[in-house]
Amino acid sequence: MLNLILALSSGVVGGLIVAMMPQANHRLRNLVVLVFSASGMVFSWRVAQMVFAGESVKIAGEFGGLAWSLAPDPLGAVFGLIASTLWLFAAVYSFGYMAQKHKQRTYYTFLLISLSVTLGVAFSGNLVALYLFYELLTFATYPLVIHERSSEAVKAGSKYILYSLSGAGAILIAIVITYRWAGNLDFAGGPILVGCLKPGLSWLLLLFVGGFGVKAAIMPLHRWLPAAMIAPTPVSALLHAVAVVYSGVYGILRVVYSVFGHELMGQLSFASILPWIAAFTILVGVAIATQQDVLKRRLAYHTISQLSYILLGAFTLQPWGLTGAILHMISYSTLKVTLFFCAGIIAEQTGETKVSRMGGVGWSLPKTMAAFGIASLGMIGMLPLNTFWSKYYLMKGSVAGGRWPLALVLIGSGIINALCFIPTVVTAFSGERVRSDTEQGGRVALMLAPTMFLAAISLFIGLWPGIVWSGVQAVVDWFF
Amino acid sequence: MLLVIFIAIPFIGALVFFLMRNRSINTPFITSTILLVLGSFGLKSVFGGRPLTYRLPFSGPFVPTFQADPLSAIFVMLAAFLWLVVSIYTPEYMKHEGRARSFDLCTLLTLSAVLGVFLAGDLFTMLLFFELMTITSFFWVVHRWNKEAVRAGYFYLFFSIIGGLFLALGIVLMGAATDVLPAIGAGFVTPLDSRMFTWSIAFFVAGFGIKAGMVPLHLWLPHAHSVAPTPSSALLSGLLIKVGAYGLIRVGEFAGWGMRLGNKVAWLGPGLAILGTCTMLVGVTAALLQSDAKRLLAYHSVSQMGYIILGLGIGLYLGPDGSLGLLGAIYHILNHALFKAALFLGVGIIYIHTKETNLYNLGGLWRRFPVTAILMFLAVLGITGAPGLNGYASKTLLHHAVSLAAKTGMPWVVWVERLFLLVGIGTAASFTKLYYLIFLGKTTKLEVSDDGSPRLQLAMGLLAAVMVGIGLRPKFFLKAMAIPAVRILGMEDAAASLVGLSFWNLGDVTGMIITLILGALLCWAGLKSGVFHWQPPVWLTLEGLGKYAGLGILALWRIVAKFCRSLVTAVRVAGKAMSSRLDLAIRKFDQSRSGTIGRFTLTGISADAAILIVILAFLIAWYTLINFGLPSL
Repeated sequence: MLNLILALSSGVVGGLIVAMMPQANHRLRNLVVLVFSASGMVFSWRVAQMVFAGESVKIAGEFGGLAWSLAPDPLGAVFGLIASTLWLFAAVYSFGYMAQKHKQRTYYTFLLISLSVTLGVAFSGNLVALYLFYELLTFATYPLVIHERSSEAVKAGSKYILYSLSGAGAILIAIVITYRWAGNLDFAGGPILVGCLKPGLSWLLLLFVGGFGVKAAIMPLHRWLPAAMIAPTPVSALLHAVAVVYSGVYGILRVVYSVFGHELMGQLSFASILPWIAAFTILVGVAIATQQDVLKRRLAYHTISQLSYILLGAFTLQPWGLTGAILHMISYSTLKVTLFFCAGIIAEQTGETKVSRMGGVGWSLPKTMAAFGIASLGMIGMLPLNTFWSKYYLMKGSVAGGRWPLALVLIGSGIINALCFIPTVVTAFSGERVRSDTEQGGRVALMLAPTMFLAAISLFIGLWPGIVWSGVQAVVDWFF
Repeated sequence: MLLVIFIAIPFIGALVFFLMRNRSINTPFITSTILLVLGSFGLKSVFGGRPLTYRLPFSGPFVPTFQADPLSAIFVMLAAFLWLVVSIYTPEYMKHEGRARSFDLCTLLTLSAVLGVFLAGDLFTMLLFFELMTITSFFWVVHRWNKEAVRAGYFYLFFSIIGGLFLALGIVLMGAATDVLPAIGAGFVTPLDSRMFTWSIAFFVAGFGIKAGMVPLHLWLPHAHSVAPTPSSALLSGLLIKVGAYGLIRVGEFAGWGMRLGNKVAWLGPGLAILGTCTMLVGVTAALLQSDAKRLLAYHSVSQMGYIILGLGIGLYLGPDGSLGLLGAIYHILNHALFKAALFLGVGIIYIHTKETNLYNLGGLWRRFPVTAILMFLAVLGITGAPGLNGYASKTLLHHAVSLAAKTGMPWVVWVERLFLLVGIGTAASFTKLYYLIFLGKTTKLEVSDDGSPRLQLAMGLLAAVMVGIGLRPKFFLKAMAIPAVRILGMEDAAASLVGLSFWNLGDVTGMIITLILGALLCWAGLKSGVFHWQPPVWLTLEGLGKYAGLGILALWRIVAKFCRSLVTAVRVAGKAMSSRLDLAIRKFDQSRSGTIGRFTLTGISADAAILIVILAFLIAWYTLINFGLPSL
């Protein structure tokens, strides 16, 4: 209980402290940010430990007649772990990346506040809390999206707000309907809607999936995501590849397994279409990604595609599929953050943001491009990387559910992924070799260290998936 | 534990090499020597029928398991030997190529990965090392980093990645078919779901077939093998494509060696045999038309892999009587590794001195390089299957297997036998051409440098010695190594099938000699008539077809992308037009309701808003000041 409160509050407290500190003292501010994101991580680990040990961790309350509760279950614990751990990496990366940027105080304030809000989404114990934090996340991250303050950034910000709020509206309606039908919004006692098979259930599912699907970037609700790439790279890496988009994915996982439950979902005709929508997003997203020349936009479309891997696993309604989905949540996040970090280093150190002009970058930034190469191999789903395992279980789930063409979709997506990233890496190492000191200096070291550490973690999990296996199994056992 | 040490030795070697200041020490040589010695002591017991297994103490879905049965042991020893030979050759050669350090690093890492594939005890471990091998050997292919090398590297990498994905899908389907994934070296599999099983086998065959250069998945091979530096070409052709063959043998094990195939996989034997025959034919035909020595050798790798795949197919097709096919395939894997490596090394020596690999610019070099010429002659005799050298032994075995199948089997096997002989003639022809154009014939006008080192010839000589040894005592390898291997795979009566077989009977020897003479004649005719210069039209070659298919997909992709883009643009334009029209309509409507009160112009909407605000203000005032509390709904 105390751990839960500390985990949730460390971000907000840190953010407020940063907001009250003087603008100029960079070193002290970085220290505060580091301490509070580390404490957020440590306490989420403690919470997760307690959850996996089977202890009940819960805070509940009521306002205005609405009961809310924060009670992480294994799924929430996994999401909280991913988010808070990567937050620390992103914070360290930011120290390097933001060193010469404007409005650092605002940036760090909202970065820390978003940590709390994301953990709130992760640890929510009923739909009310989930909705509140989900809505708050939009507003907490808005200042980060418009950080540039250029007209383009403001436009992207408006788009982000507009999309997110419309999605949240749909969710609100759906929650009200759920409450009318089930009289209960708690996740704890099994699926909420179990036993109320009504004719309008498919529409309710559509509302939920459409609402959360905005942040999960299901096509055609994805358009805010490439636009939001105007944000600073650590934000793109952390929020638009992991935290914010995962809150949408997490919402859909909740809807499928905690609101409807896999048994009820199995009886809905609309639910059998959902895997195909995910498959469509997977293929089209990555196909569009190959067409993008700006690296960050390419990564954004690629994110859209990869998020649907998780959704695909969830929509198979099979234990193996859910295993794959949870594994993919873990492994994709480490790799994608690595890719974004690399893109940021390239943009900062060489000024190149376009893939077509990255020939020879590898020789001036060898370590960065090595990390990029490792992560690209992971995106294809090659074995020494952790995504192989998620892909394997996703395929296994699809085959087990009798939908073997979905396995072929995953294979095809792997091939398009190769087309999307391998040429970038290879051309980066072709051309003239120039020795340069682009990769020297403290600022680059701050950016490079988290990047390479994450790549190493991905390799490590790939070689020993057993290390995350008990957590994944706990989630699957919780729902099946 | 020993098995892990095997894989770790080259890896540690690579680490030491990477950190070491003194780069004059030949680390690959030391590592492969250690491996060879360790292997000949440590893996001896394996042939006595006691396979080694080892599990790493991991938890979770991936528990790396290692095993060594005689088949693995054969491959491990072969790899160690080839690496040893090539590492003698490399330092001298890489002086001319440059960047020897990164090359050696790749060589060591690739050795580690290759040993990992051979010693893997479960499918995941095998796939892991298979993918690692792809990545490390990719750096061999692109070693020169010029345009051609990068293009070949792309080819290689994309085909290999697709192969790896196929294998992954194969594992998934195997898991669906059997519940628990079968271990490697544990015999045949009885599937619960035979439909999934047959698809799984199909994807395995495709995945390993890409590595093995099986038609039509061989397109990457000639490019990659000819553009890589010669030592790595020797290893790529000598060993890395054999990893595909090794995989196919293991797939055959899942289906069941030495039994009539049921479980809906009866297609596997005939399928492999026919694909193997196609591979032989396509490889040899393309090889005849090459003018570049390395490309010619690379196409012959395709063709010789066809022999191996054919042997495997016949072995599966004949079931219990098929041990000759499997034995021949394993034997040919060994022999091809030896002579193809020797051939590549020989061409490499010529390349160092002349900087030329185009056959038509070379000639008469036997005077300058007499030792190389003799060693090359032995290698050429080996690959063409001349009696007294190693190729003869395995080709004879394969031929016996094919004719056995032709006696008992279907009409397609008869055709396979005929084509088998034809490919033999073609092989002889193209190697006569290679040898004639390089060493005999008119003396070349090129400048020939003269700073040769005996180490280069020593490497070739080692290979040639083993080749001659095998050629003179063809049964030794079979009895000592191949038969235990085949027996453990499931062919119990493998030894019995060899009882009546003599390698030196008149029929086989004269048959081979006739083949060689016909080949030489064909070569003479071809050179005279200039047929070998004929370039087939693009649509006739598989490569051309592949290119057209690629271009077609690209064009289709462009059309679809253009269509989608125009669709999106159209929707956006329509939306904008609609919204502006709506806007205009609202404004018009608004204007129509506007009027003036005194000096103020009041538009309709502002009037509406004013009314709304007044109502709201009234409601707020009512509920807060006059009638407390919210209305009950």
